[in-house]
Formats: sequence, structure tokens, C-alpha cells
Amino acid sequence: MPSKETESIQLLQGTLDLIVLRTLASMGSQHAYQITNRLEQVSGNLLNLNQGTLYPALVRLEQYGWIKGTWGKTENNREAKYYAITRAGQKALGEETQRWRRMAGLVEKLLVEEASR
Amino acid sequence: MKYLRRIFLRFFGLFANSKAEAELDREITAHLQFLEDDFLAHGMTPEEARRAARRAYGGVEQVKQLHRNERAYQGLASTVMDVRYALRQLRKSPGFTLTAILMLAFGIGATTAVFSIVEGVLLRPLPYADPDRLVVLGDDLVGSHCTDCAQSHVTTPDIRNYMRDTHSFLHLGGYQRAGFELSSTGDPVFVDGTRMSGEVFPALAVAPLVGRWFTQQEDDQHQSVAVLSYGMWRSRFHGDEKILGTKILLDRKPYLVVGVMPRDFEFPLMPGHVNNSELWVPLSPQPEEFTAGYAASWNSRMVGRLKPGITPAQAQSDAQLVAEETMRNYPGFMRSLRIRSDVKLLHEDTVAQARPLVHTLLIAVATVLLIACTNLAGLLLVRSIRRRREIAVRLALGARAAMLLRQAMIESLVLSIAGGLVGLALAAGCIRIGISLLPETLPRVHEISLDWPVIAFALALAVLTGLVCGLAPAFAAIRTSVNETLKEGGRTGTPGSGHGRLRSTLVVGEIAVALVLLTASGLLLRSFEKMRQVDLGFRVDHTLSAFYDLPQKRYATQSAVDSFTDTLLRNLRQLPGVKAAGISSSLPAAGDGGGIAITMEGYVPQRDAGLNMATVSLMQGDPFQALGIRLLRGRFFTESDKADSQLVAIVNRKLAEHLWPGQDPIGRRLRRGMQETPTPWLTVVGIVDDVKLGSPDAGTAEQFYQPVTQQAISEGAFASAGELTATYGYIVLHTDTPPEQMENSLRAAVRDVDPQLPLIEMQTMEHVISGSEAPRLFNTVLISAFALIALLLAVMGIYSVIAFSVALREQEMAIRMALGCQRQGVLHLVLISAAKLGAVGCLLGLLAATGVAHLLRSLLFGVNPFDPLVLILSAVAMLSFALAASALPATRAAKIDPIVALRGD
Repeated sequence: MPSKETESIQLLQGTLDLIVLRTLASMGSQHAYQITNRLEQVSGNLLNLNQGTLYPALVRLEQYGWIKGTWGKTENNREAKYYAITRAGQKALGEETQRWRRMAGLVEKLLVEEASR
Repeated sequence: MKYLRRIFLRFFGLFANSKAEAELDREITAHLQFLEDDFLAHGMTPEEARRAARRAYGGVEQVKQLHRNERAYQGLASTVMDVRYALRQLRKSPGFTLTAILMLAFGIGATTAVFSIVEGVLLRPLPYADPDRLVVLGDDLVGSHCTDCAQSHVTTPDIRNYMRDTHSFLHLGGYQRAGFELSSTGDPVFVDGTRMSGEVFPALAVAPLVGRWFTQQEDDQHQSVAVLSYGMWRSRFHGDEKILGTKILLDRKPYLVVGVMPRDFEFPLMPGHVNNSELWVPLSPQPEEFTAGYAASWNSRMVGRLKPGITPAQAQSDAQLVAEETMRNYPGFMRSLRIRSDVKLLHEDTVAQARPLVHTLLIAVATVLLIACTNLAGLLLVRSIRRRREIAVRLALGARAAMLLRQAMIESLVLSIAGGLVGLALAAGCIRIGISLLPETLPRVHEISLDWPVIAFALALAVLTGLVCGLAPAFAAIRTSVNETLKEGGRTGTPGSGHGRLRSTLVVGEIAVALVLLTASGLLLRSFEKMRQVDLGFRVDHTLSAFYDLPQKRYATQSAVDSFTDTLLRNLRQLPGVKAAGISSSLPAAGDGGGIAITMEGYVPQRDAGLNMATVSLMQGDPFQALGIRLLRGRFFTESDKADSQLVAIVNRKLAEHLWPGQDPIGRRLRRGMQETPTPWLTVVGIVDDVKLGSPDAGTAEQFYQPVTQQAISEGAFASAGELTATYGYIVLHTDTPPEQMENSLRAAVRDVDPQLPLIEMQTMEHVISGSEAPRLFNTVLISAFALIALLLAVMGIYSVIAFSVALREQEMAIRMALGCQRQGVLHLVLISAAKLGAVGCLLGLLAATGVAHLLRSLLFGVNPFDPLVLILSAVAMLSFALAASALPATRAAKIDPIVALRGD
């Protein structure tokens, strides 16, 4: 287990919002537990995501008006708060993705250039 | 956009907290349930699954806190929480809360009320446009030693010369107060008015409410036009706009009304005058006002607006050039007179007289506020000591010191703001009462109200008080040693010496400042007593007076005037119940008429010796007997002192001692004017006792009296052609019965001679005296009221601190008693500790009182600011109040039942 700890990645500030938006956009409305599971699954458990870490991101996105939470029932008849991406959220996802790509490209470019010097 | 929305939501998140919390709880529970379901599915027992779910989720509280931080502004949220907590705490101890709030409300209320008054009088700009450019211009008469020189005056020729020849003023004009008989509306009444150059209106730059001003041209052309005050327009003409263009009768002469000034327009702003000007007419000086005696009468004033960029000093040197030219053109009979131009800001001129009182008030207010704050600090300190255990427990449980400090600060802020608000309400009431009490000598007294700057001041004061009062107890609170306090196990044996010292300091400080006020009040009370003991020089009881002024239109010749006076005096003497009747040009205690220059026989003027000035009163009938002025030697005037007989004068004792020290003045001669003035000699036929012309605490004037019949001749070159004498005067009656009962007979007697002539200010001499005493009475009552408040607050403060110390030492007292100490001993123990504090406080207070004594000097009369009797009495009083305040806790301490006290806790 400790080896896993050292390998795990700490998320960059602000990237969690983008990941959550992306997840909701592709998976449809999800509750917090589902989102966590999905993130762990996709990252191959590399992402050290505490279950509760998600909550501040959710409230922030909701306050931006990018996602909307509604109470519903699971197939096991348990109640859960389902979050869905809004139209404004879709738009923001596009912009944020663009921004991330530019940023990542820039960082990558810098790393390559500095390494080859 | 998204940020705006979020800021809004985060802010309102503060107030929808409980709903959001419930929602979060629900969500987390659901989340944990899912985890638990998963672990169950992996084959764990329910118990294991629950624990595993918790582990996997992480700290629930931490997550909640992260959520809260994201959801709402937590800095604010904790403040809201702290305020709620403070309110809850305060509700739990209503006695403490009420005392603290009322104490502060008291302090802040008084402060705000007085600040409003100070603001209204001193700080509020004059009710004219751009008031910083308005100045008064006047002459200092060199060597006149006049008492009225705080306000400089000019002569009629001066007005003409200054207006024509100065270059520093945009607008400059002269004015003179004048009374008018207004007879076009019902019964004739006497109204106060002002004769004024047309230039004064544009200088003041206040637009009329309706109509227009009169112009300088109308003034020069002697047009009979008038501008009314708002008050006059409303009260006498029912606010009728059709008044414009109609004529009113002033002194039985028609004047065209051209305008009405707005409600807050007031000019001149003259301290010392009860009645404000009700109308304004052009100055339009008559030709004779430029000649003879008028040219040497400094009875007008000038006001002007400086040109841009010109300073008052520059304007003064400009005016001085004109003054020098004026002096070069003086007629021979006044060539020795020297004048100096004086230009100062109108604002200075207006508030100068009120300044000492206002400063004293500010000190009184500061003192009361200081005591109120000290009391609050003391209360909070005591409270924080009481809560030591609670604070220790919270510290032990991990509360940070900064948080406790913040909470203490918030608690005192909540208290002080509440106190401030209650205080404001109190102040609003106080101002209303204050205005009705204020002497009319305070200019613009009716404009004073509680206004926004004042409210801002009060609230700032409240917050500052909260911060200051919160700090000391808060630090005391966090210095609490957790271990010590908890180990004590509730046994509050001996309180920390640090707290004890702080409490003692508060008590000592409180006693000291309260004593300063007490001393001030004592000094003022003694001054008042001294004033009441002053020999006024005339009879106060059984004396009635009334003023009249004959309109020139009707009484155009001297014989018409004389026949009016003769008939009136004859009628008055025949009234049943009248012992003596007379007419005098001045009334004792009603105000100093100002002086004229005099010369005595055989007097060789020294260089720079200055002028001999004296106040002259003109008499008809038996005014000396009617007023009860005592004759010291010689004789009173008689019917035989006529215009063509020997010219005579009666001098008062002060003038006699000045002119002929150590000699018999009877038979000596003096005359009006200076050495070079051709005036006839007057022979002194009598000496009378000194009479107070102004208020009893003012100086005594050098005075002489003349029969009015000889006035014109005695004026010599000063007399102008066609000038009438004896056209006005105070009728004075010595009555058998209470003077109020004679008022109707007096009125009837006057109506009998001239049915239209109004009598002005008919009043008994008792009333005149109380009017002249009013300003000092006001000062004394006001400062004494403050001293009383300070004393009350200080006693409350001393009581609360001593009572608390006693409560803290209950165990100690019980042990002492158990070991055989008598109840008497315990009583002494407490009283002696209080007396020690009191003695130190009084000592410091006396030192402070002598420090501020110089501020009081100008308000005192006949009392030294270091009067030992007052100082000692105040200190003794303060000390006994301190002892009385501690007597109650002391007896309570002596009644402690040692068994109960020791078994307690």
C-alpha cells in the first residue's frame, strides 16, 4: 500500500473542476459516489482522491451554475443527490478544455525545449 | 457574471446555513451508505463495513468544513457566529448587560447632545454662501478701553468712506440695529429691524424666498423699501405672497415690501440679543448723520465679502489707508481721536463669546464619557474574571487565544453599539431640552439638531469605546493560566494580583476624573453665589419698567415730545399705588449702553493716557427714587434743572473716585467730548452709588447722569441741528403693590396720551435681573448636571468593583472569621481598602483639577480657580461618596456566615 501512496498524483488546483465536468458530460447525471468511482476507475487508481474531496468542487460548480444537483433514487431504492451538467456547464467545459490544452501544450513544449538544451 | 453570482450566493450562504448543513449531512450519509453497501457486497460483516466505509470516506468533519469554506465566506460566518454567541451570553446575564448598555448610553447620549450643540455653534458654517470669505470691518478706538471691543464698530461717515475707498472687497456694506413701530397690521407693535446698505445682501449671497433684495441704488436714493424675515411674514402677514408690492407702516411712514427672506436667513448674527431682526430697510443715512455727534458715534457695524485671493490681513491694511484719510478729515472737535481698522472673519466675530462655555462643555463631556468607558471596562474585567474557569476549559479544549480575544472584542462591541444606539435616542431628547435651556446669547441656537455627522461621531465613539474597553479585559482573559485556574477547583481564594491592580487603577482613575468635574461645578456654584451677593445698587422688588420709542413722523418737534413726556409723567404720578415715577434712557441690568468720551476741569492729558470714557444716562421725573438708586451726597435733579439754568450732572461713585480721587466732587466740573471739543461745563451736584448696568457679574461702569432737558445744550458741537431729545426711554415705577398688578394701569396711562404707542418689554425689575443672571445660571446648572452624572457613574463604578472584590474574597473573609476575626474587623478591612483607593484618586483628581483650572478662569466670578474651600469640600465629598459606595459590600462581607461560605463550592 505505501508504494501506491508515493505513486499517486496530487491534482493541480482547478483541474478537479474540469475532470468533474468532463465526467458528467460523458456519463450523464451522477451522484458523488459514482463520480468518485468513475474517476478512480479511469485513472487506474493513480489519482489519490479522498472520497470527501469532491464536495467543495461540487458546491463550487453548482454556485457557478455549471452543474445542478437534484435528489433522486438509485435502483436499490437508496436516495442520492444526482448532479447533471447544465448548458452553461457545457459551454464552460469547452472553454476550460481549450484552456487546459493550451496550458498543457505550453508546459510540454517548455519541458521538451529545456531538456534538449 | 459567474463570479458575481458566486459572490452573491456565498454571501447569502451565511444566512441559509442550517438548510445547507442539513442538505450536506443528507448527502454525506447517502455517500457513506453507498460505500457500506459496496463493502457488504465484498463480504464484510455490517459492523466491519460501516467502519471501512468511514475509513474510506475520510474525516467527515473535515469534509464538512471544506464544504463550508467553499460554500460561504467563512471569515464573515464566524463573525456572525461570534455575534450570535455574544448575544446569547449577554442574554444570560441581563443585569450586567443592562447596566453596561445604560451606562454607555448615558455617556454617549450626553456626549452626542453636547457635540451637536458644539457642532451647531462652533463648527457649522455660517448660513451664508462661501462663509470663509465673509469678514467684519470695524474701528478700534485707540485708548477707549471699552469693554465691548470684542466687536468692533464704525461711524456713519466710516461706512461711506470704507465703501467708497477700499479695494479689497467684492461687496461691503454697513448696518445698524433699529427698532420700528409697525402699525399697519392691527395693534401697533414694536419690531426689531436692521438698517442696512444695499451691498450687504450680495455680500451675504442668500437669495430671497420671494421677491428681491433692495439694491445699493435704492439705498443711495433713500427709497422706502423693506425686506421681511420669514418669521415676520408668516406671523404678521399669514405667509401671503400678495404682500409684495404692498406698503407697511414703519414709525408711521409707508415702506414698500419688495421681498421675503428664507426661513434660515438670520442677520445680523448678534450674540446678546434676544430678538432677531424681523425686517431690513435701506440704511439711507440722513445728512445729519455725517456731522457732529453722529460722526463720533461708533454705533454701526460693517460686513463684507473679500475679493478672491485677498486675505483678511491684506484687507485690513487696505482699510487702514482709508481710516488714515478719515482721521485727516476729522473736524477740529475730534482731532485727537485715533482709530485702527480691524478686519476679522465673520465666523470668529460670531462665536467668540460662546467659546469658553463650549470648551468647558467639551471637557465635561469628555470626562463623563471617560468615566462611562472606565465603568464598562471595569464591568467587562469583572466579567472576564468570573468566566476564568470557562475560558480555561475552552483553552484546554484547544480554543485559540486569538479566537477568545476576538470573541471578547465582539462582545464589548455588541454592548457598545447597543449603548450607542440607546444613547442616540437619549441625545435626541437631550438636545430638545438643551435648546430650550440654552441662553439666547448662543448664536443660531434654534438651528441645533441631531444631524448625520453627529450620529457618525456617536457611532464612531461607540465602536472606539468598545474596542478600547474590550482590549484590557480580553487580554486579562487570555492571560489566564489554564492549569492554575482548573487546579483551583473553583476555590477563588486570592484573585490574581494583576487583575487586582488593573481594577484598582480603574477605580482611582474614575475618582480622579469625577473629582475634576466636581471641583469645576463647585467653583461655578460659588461664583453664582458670589454673583447673587453682589450689591446691584438699585431696588429689585416693587419696581416696574417698560420701554417706549416715539415715532418721528408723529412727534416731529421738541415741544410735541416734551408735552408727551410731561403729560405721561403727570398721569403716572397720579396712579394709585405709585410711589415714584420717572423716565431714564438706560435701565440697570438691561445692558451697558456703551460709553462716551468726557473731559474734566483742570485735567492735563498725559501722552498716550487714552480717553476718559463714561456711560451717560438721561433722566426725567424721579427715576432715581423709582429705581431706588442711593444718593451718597448732594442732591437729585429737580424740576428747576431746565435747559436755560445751570448745567448739572450727577456722577456715580466709581467715576468720582477715578476723576477726583480723595476729593469732594460736589461743585467740580466735567464736560462731554475730548479736550479739543467745544462743549459746555456741567457742574456736579450729587454722587450716587454704583449701579450694575449689565449682569451682576460684569464690571461696574463709570457713569454720570444728566437731566434730559439739558442734553442738547451740553452736547455743544456734537449736537446736530434739529435733533430731538427725550424721544425714547424706560418708564420706571416704584409701586406699593406687587408690580405685576400695575401693568394694566401703566398701559392705560400711556394709551391715554398716545393710543397708538406700543410699550416694549414691560417687566418687573426682578424679571430683568433674572434675565441678566440667566447665562451664568445656565453655565452653572449645565456643568453641575455633568458633575452629578459623573459622580453617579463613578459611584456605580466604585460600587461594582468593590462589591466584586468582596465577592472574590469571600473565602478569605470566612477563614478570617473562623480564626476569630470580628465582623467589625471585616467591615474595616473592606472600608480601609476603599478609602485607600479613594485617597489616591482624590489626590490625583486635585492635581488634575488644578491643571485644568486655567480653562475655567474666564467662567468664574469672584472665586479663585484654586479656591481651597471648594477643592477641600469636593475632595471630602468625593471620598465620602466612595466610602458610601463601598459600605454596602462591606456590610455584606461582614454578614458572611463562615460555615456556609467555607462549605460552598
